[in-house]
Amino acid sequence: MRKIFQYGLVRGIFGQILGMALGYGLVTVLQLLSGARLRAEPAWVVGGAFGAIGFLIALGAFTDWFRMAKGENVPEPEEIEEPQGGKRYWGLSYDHKVIGVQYGFLSLFLLVLGGLFGLIFRTELLAPQLQFLSFNLFNTLIGLHGMVLIASILMGIAAISNYIIPLLIGARDMAFPRLNAFSFWVAVPGALILVWSLALGGFETGWTGYPPLSIRGPMGVQMFFLGVWLVGWSSILGALNLIATILRMRTPGMSMFRMPILAWSVLATSIIALTATQLIGLSFQLVLFERLLGMGFFEPSNGGNPILFQHLFWFYSHPAVYIFVLPGLGVISELLPVFVRKPLFGYKWVAMSSLGIALVGFLVWAHHMFAAGMEEYLRVPFMYSTLLVAVPTGVKFFSWTATIWQGNIRLRVPMLFILGSIIIFLLGGITGPMLGTVSTDLHLTDTYYVVGHFHATMFGGYIFPFFAALYYWFPKITGRQMSEKLGQWQFWLLFIGFMVMSLGQMRIGMLGMRRRIADYDPAMGFQIPNIIITLAGFMVAISVLILFINLYRSARFGKVAVGNVWQSRSPEWQIPSPTPQHNYPVPLRVVGEPYDYAGGSEQYVELDGAAPAAHAAD
Amino acid sequence: MRQTPLFRKVLIASANPLFGKGLQQIYRQRFEAVEFLLTSSMEETLAQLDRWQPDLVIVDYDDKTIHREEFLSHFITGQHPMQVMLVSLRESGAVVVYDRKTLTPAQADAWLSDFQSNPPSKRSHPMKGNTRHLFIAGGLVIVATALMYFALLGINLLPDQASTQAQAIDRLFNAHFFMIALLFSLITVFIGYSLFAFRSKPGTEDQPGANMKGNNTLEIIWTLIPLATVLIFSFFGARNLAETRVADPQAMEVKVIARQWDWVFEYPAYGIKSNELVLPVNRQVLLKLTSLDVIHSFWVPEFRVKQDALPGENLVKELRITPIKEGNYTVMCAELCGGAHANMNRPVVVVSKQEFDAWVSSKVNAVTADPVERGKRWAELSGCLSCHSVDGTKLVGPTWKGAYGHTVELTDGTTLISDDAYLYTSIVNPASQLVKGYPNSMPGNYADQLSDEQIRDIIAYIKSLK
Repeated sequence: MRKIFQYGLVRGIFGQILGMALGYGLVTVLQLLSGARLRAEPAWVVGGAFGAIGFLIALGAFTDWFRMAKGENVPEPEEIEEPQGGKRYWGLSYDHKVIGVQYGFLSLFLLVLGGLFGLIFRTELLAPQLQFLSFNLFNTLIGLHGMVLIASILMGIAAISNYIIPLLIGARDMAFPRLNAFSFWVAVPGALILVWSLALGGFETGWTGYPPLSIRGPMGVQMFFLGVWLVGWSSILGALNLIATILRMRTPGMSMFRMPILAWSVLATSIIALTATQLIGLSFQLVLFERLLGMGFFEPSNGGNPILFQHLFWFYSHPAVYIFVLPGLGVISELLPVFVRKPLFGYKWVAMSSLGIALVGFLVWAHHMFAAGMEEYLRVPFMYSTLLVAVPTGVKFFSWTATIWQGNIRLRVPMLFILGSIIIFLLGGITGPMLGTVSTDLHLTDTYYVVGHFHATMFGGYIFPFFAALYYWFPKITGRQMSEKLGQWQFWLLFIGFMVMSLGQMRIGMLGMRRRIADYDPAMGFQIPNIIITLAGFMVAISVLILFINLYRSARFGKVAVGNVWQSRSPEWQIPSPTPQHNYPVPLRVVGEPYDYAGGSEQYVELDGAAPAAHAAD
Repeated sequence: MRQTPLFRKVLIASANPLFGKGLQQIYRQRFEAVEFLLTSSMEETLAQLDRWQPDLVIVDYDDKTIHREEFLSHFITGQHPMQVMLVSLRESGAVVVYDRKTLTPAQADAWLSDFQSNPPSKRSHPMKGNTRHLFIAGGLVIVATALMYFALLGINLLPDQASTQAQAIDRLFNAHFFMIALLFSLITVFIGYSLFAFRSKPGTEDQPGANMKGNNTLEIIWTLIPLATVLIFSFFGARNLAETRVADPQAMEVKVIARQWDWVFEYPAYGIKSNELVLPVNRQVLLKLTSLDVIHSFWVPEFRVKQDALPGENLVKELRITPIKEGNYTVMCAELCGGAHANMNRPVVVVSKQEFDAWVSSKVNAVTADPVERGKRWAELSGCLSCHSVDGTKLVGPTWKGAYGHTVELTDGTTLISDDAYLYTSIVNPASQLVKGYPNSMPGNYADQLSDEQIRDIIAYIKSLK
């Protein structure tokens, strides 16, 4: 029993249960003492909040800060020599690489969970009428599918950023290692609370949580709000840390325009996450208070305005799309030159287009509300700003194409996923303008067309690049390479499955199938397309299953990765795999351009005194 | 044209005096204000490197008297920013430039071994047949665009076109389809062609591709063209939106009341409430949407346009639709409203004007069988009574009290006895027989707004006012 408590995660979950009981008990006792009517909802909300704090205390995330507050000395994180071995991944660690992997685990776990929710309701949609789900459960599952996968994506980009960014810029760790650990661990109770909403009656609102529906529904929606609120903290603090790291921790000689391009994307993403995430936290918090305390923010009968919520909500949730895709687009730009042996075409333009997307992304939120009944004079200006996003995005596509043109293309598995992501993100991109021009959007909004469109942007902008990154950087983590054969199987299943699913969704959406419906009229002829979409969805699920088999088998039996397995110029491949504990034995020196694969400069970075991995491989 | 040079002090090291003189001449033709120093031996070169501190050193690659290792080790230890250029006359075009800022011992090692075996200028592969490749890919883009565009038009992506709004919107859809076909073809064809033409052959995986770092002109072009395109699209998008919103002042108003999970439609002009939305063809309907609980959304796919219905008295939203095709449709709630959202459907029936009038009568007859009672209601709902009194008071128009069966004098001086036919004409075409002393201010369109049956009811009501 004591042994099991050595695992921080187990301690944390125990602390969360304890905290939840404490919070629940406290509110109930206060209600009893004041003679008020006993209500479970406030008790659960306070219990949930206490639970999250309990988790973090029991885990030890606050211990160092408590000691600092008491005036005690705590060691500098980079002086701590953490014990190596698998156990450190299950508890508090300040090593950015461990935290990166932890983010990766959580991301994959949530990916499976959210994917399963999707499969459940897709199976329900195989036939008209309700088969095995109730309306309530169906609505809960679509909402959880959305939000759990959003959390998964946030964790996934944090995994890439945390593991890779310090390595790319030659830093020993992130700028604030303790904050980094806190950012990760606050998301764990957040995710648990999010899923706990299922136990409290679910919620009927979808991931958008629009009031007044969210004010009336079952109280599971409160856990949904609380969970998102906590995951939001993770996002905000993680972004803060990344911005500080990228701006301040670059190795000498690495000017902003000599950074690996992924650092630019992560910087742009982090700027959005740091400044916009508050708005979703705030809007959900307002509904939470409205339910709990009867404050009339959004309920018209209490003098509120439901449109106000939508403005607050989309002010985050649109830029959030760019939070999700920018790191993925950065991975595309980062990996393409390696596999085409050619410089990234127009480095500065690609770097600036990330910032351009981030900037324009803030000005377009109301295009989600063209039919919502907001002030009508807002529609045309938001149409203009929305379509403007196409300009910086176009720069990326054209630059990628020019990078591939006249290259020496090596079709290894990461490259397959990169090409897949370009095609699928393209599909997501070009189906966007129809939703941008107001009158066509009036037909398409709230239909399956939108579902198909944003799944294409998410798969092209996140899922495919994330898998590419997994295959590409897996040797850095484990010291072994992933199987190319399984990788190819996974790629083709995923690519074909997804294409069928997404195009099918777009088509029936245009023909009149609404989003988020548990049942459809067979007379509209949607059963066959729905069967095809569901089968394609299962194909996607099988491809992810293959990924897991590959991850497990390769980690144990994979080919040992020696040296610079992809012949990359990037600094992380000049040191041994798996990455040594404090990354680089000596500070890096930048002596060339990052992507000069075909030019004169022999190297991008140089490690004095350390034998380059490329030589060790000979 | 002579340019301002990048380097002000240039040292040329070669035992061959022609090398230095020739270079100097070429350099002077293109740049002005450059100092030159020619050295012919190793010692001299090294001494001048420290003393004179040149910005650029041009070394004769073919000169064996210059010991490159020694020269480079000297070069890299200095602090003054400096570049070295190695020029070979035997192998024309073999030029390498090194920057002191970035040249390090390890790099120099690599360079030396590399340089002896194969001169760096030959490393990057030339872009063979680039123009041909571009032409082929460009041609394929055009073919692919055409095929995809006609495929998109051919596979029937949109439901029936049953309103004038749908006609306008579908035109914009077609423009979008073209852009989709073009952009998808452009990128995928170029990438697909690259995979076909530039894929590495076995054994050449590590060879570099073309050394193409970027091209600002191209980048500017593919920023400005999309920018112009989106501005044009936005402009026409705005015009298209305006077209769907053209208001007909004679539009029939219908109140749409949404609640969990049903629709109710109210026709204020007829005092009818209904669970199906019956609309006359070719007449604009002005929907006024509201909700009793949460947010719902009114959508008939065949009409294209959609509008959310919000709770709250001050948040009544409007939507204008002009059905152009008779048939049966379905209004569906498009905004998740909890529970049985999926089943929140009601029929929408578009019928001819006659059928619509008949439907209205049947609905109204179901309310009351007394034509006088009904006529009174139509008069109230249609605004008749704001100009015509029923108690003999003189308003804008003649009073209805005793208007039937009396002698009337018209503006043209003729007199007649008011009968059914006279009253009917007065309602549907009031200007044709104005009563003397009253202005020509009654709208001439009651025939469109009221069914024959309603007009007969109103006449019955007028008859009853004795």
